[in-house]
Amino acid sequence: MLNKLWILIKRLYKQKIRAKSFILMTLFYMAIISVILFWSDIKAIFVNDEALEVALVNETSVELEPIFVSNEEITFRFPSEPEEELHEQLKQDEYDAVVVVSEEEETLKADIATYVPLKLVDQSTISSFIQYAGKIYGIQHLNLTAAEADRILNSEPIITNTNLNEGLADGKSEEQKQSGMWVSYFVGIVIYFFIMAFLSMITTDVASEKGSRALEMLLVSVKPSTHFQSKIIGITLLAFTQFAIIFGFVLVLLRFSNQGDKWDKVVSIVEELSYSYVFYAIAFLFLTIILYLIIGALFGSLVSKVEEASQVMTPAIMVTLVGFYVMISGVANPDTLLIKIFSYIPLTSGMVMPMRIGATDISSIESILSLMLLLATVIVSYLLSLSFYKRSVLTYSSGGIIQKIKTVLKVTT
Amino acid sequence: MTLALEHVVKKYKDFTAVNDLNFIIGKGEIFGLIGQNGAGKTTTFRMILDLQDQTSGKITWDGIPIKKVNRDWLGYLPEERGIFPQMKVEEQLIFFGELRGMQRGELKKEIDFWITFFDLEEKRHQKAETLSKGNQQKVQLIASFIHKPKFLILDEPFSGLDPVNRDLLKEAILLLKERGVTILFSSHQMDNVEELCDHLCLLKRGISLFSGSLLDLKKQYGKTKLTLRTSFPLSELKKMAGVKEVKIDRDEYLVTLTDESFAETIFDVVSNGQYIEKFSLDYLSLDEIFKDKVGGNVE
Repeated sequence: MLNKLWILIKRLYKQKIRAKSFILMTLFYMAIISVILFWSDIKAIFVNDEALEVALVNETSVELEPIFVSNEEITFRFPSEPEEELHEQLKQDEYDAVVVVSEEEETLKADIATYVPLKLVDQSTISSFIQYAGKIYGIQHLNLTAAEADRILNSEPIITNTNLNEGLADGKSEEQKQSGMWVSYFVGIVIYFFIMAFLSMITTDVASEKGSRALEMLLVSVKPSTHFQSKIIGITLLAFTQFAIIFGFVLVLLRFSNQGDKWDKVVSIVEELSYSYVFYAIAFLFLTIILYLIIGALFGSLVSKVEEASQVMTPAIMVTLVGFYVMISGVANPDTLLIKIFSYIPLTSGMVMPMRIGATDISSIESILSLMLLLATVIVSYLLSLSFYKRSVLTYSSGGIIQKIKTVLKVTT
Repeated sequence: MTLALEHVVKKYKDFTAVNDLNFIIGKGEIFGLIGQNGAGKTTTFRMILDLQDQTSGKITWDGIPIKKVNRDWLGYLPEERGIFPQMKVEEQLIFFGELRGMQRGELKKEIDFWITFFDLEEKRHQKAETLSKGNQQKVQLIASFIHKPKFLILDEPFSGLDPVNRDLLKEAILLLKERGVTILFSSHQMDNVEELCDHLCLLKRGISLFSGSLLDLKKQYGKTKLTLRTSFPLSELKKMAGVKEVKIDRDEYLVTLTDESFAETIFDVVSNGQYIEKFSLDYLSLDEIFKDKVGGNVE
């Protein structure tokens, strides 16, 4: 029986890995990832981003010029021409903005004049400079020394987190949480894309075998359970092959590009990760993909022809979308009630729980509970699906998914 | 004894698809399961192949419950045609053969033989989806017995084949029989059943109307099919005792008798000591018996 299982897996794997759609999809993912990783370089080729030219007129008694330091994005000039002349130069595109800084009732006042409205990002950049200048202006009015002013502005509090409940907190640093957040985001995206691609693949594969009636010939020589297992294992192997290709490609790209700058960043993120986090991330990734493949194979066995596959897949895709958006919402704040709830729902926990584990101080009991729930769901789904698959795979019916389930139950019990 | 069905019943809630079915197929025999659409043929096949469980009754192979029989001994051609459209013909046959535990060397020999037999040499390396419907059917047929099964089930193997390929298939079935394969098949074409089968079972709405040898079935009706070529008046013929029905086929009378015993009297009256061009008394054809038994068309 093991030999038959292997023959079925081999056929499925060979057929799918040689398929144009698989090759194109893998190349497409690689291209997209390359574009994302090197977006700034690509952008530089096509878009000539010149620094913003800003004329600053300081009408206050305080020397503010040293605060307005030029950088790659913005160049400050300190012309001595009158304001009207500067406005003329603004119209002639010599400047992007003219900022006049003055005093009004011991408060710094800034007038920003433009001829072409500024982009939001440029507005924010100028505003942040002015706000900093406002603080300096305020400090200067308190008659402090430069050293005292510097202490106020640059004083960094020393923060130590101590949680007395040892069973609850594992006391992650902000860096660890940030790293956990990035990796969780990565895990969530991987799960989302893999479910979208491979749920559809397994459902349509079972549906097409059933629709072409080749399945009847197969099921004479192998048990439905062997056929079911071959689909799950074959597509899982295919999914991990694609993952290995893309992941390997990304690693090579990071290692050998930009003198390894990006690689160093990745290494610094990975160094912040604990072994337990890596274990949880891999376990959730693996179990979630398996769970969706079980559902996909079961759904495929319900339809009578391949055209109906998308109809039965819709509920699973909707759940995946919900999980994905909940995970995205967690990037801003991973401690919301919504995140907590979805981190326990087996269909979405794979996308949401790694974020909670990595970016929040949850107790290990919560992570284990969620993982056990997912594992139990995978086992129960597998056993139930196996039993149902045996009955549904040779039953042909019309109507929606509920109607199809009813028909299977009616004709096989 | 090879395959035996004893009191087999298949029920779907309040609908009985197969009711108390009994038959035995001997080793190396060709057995026909005939019946209209919905008679329960495919359900019976699926129960034999363990694709469906029977509600009650026993199905055994050489006395062993069918569930415990090595599946590699079985071959099946489903009624609905289907193979893997993306796979090449030879790949497809290798896949099905290996799945049934055949070694590559032996498999190659079998594939070569059957591909040549069914005149598919040129299609060997083509994808199945590029073949005509008839050729796809031949590939599927080869796939069903490429692994040299002991028992082969063919569900409507003749449908969709042209007369030339139909003869080729008959030849293949007889060749398999020669090799000792036990064959169970269904067909709507009664001439094929009559030509190939040793024994048969006639199903109507899940109930067996007859199970036994073809000759026994025919004997049940007796020789009641009389063909006459004579100038004897039709009106007189119709009035004669024992004549159930008279049809005219060109210059011949096709007479159905109520009983074989009336034939001699009819001969005496019609010939009246004179020359008679044709007087032939035969068994009813299976098609005629089938129509009489199930009371309708086959299709």
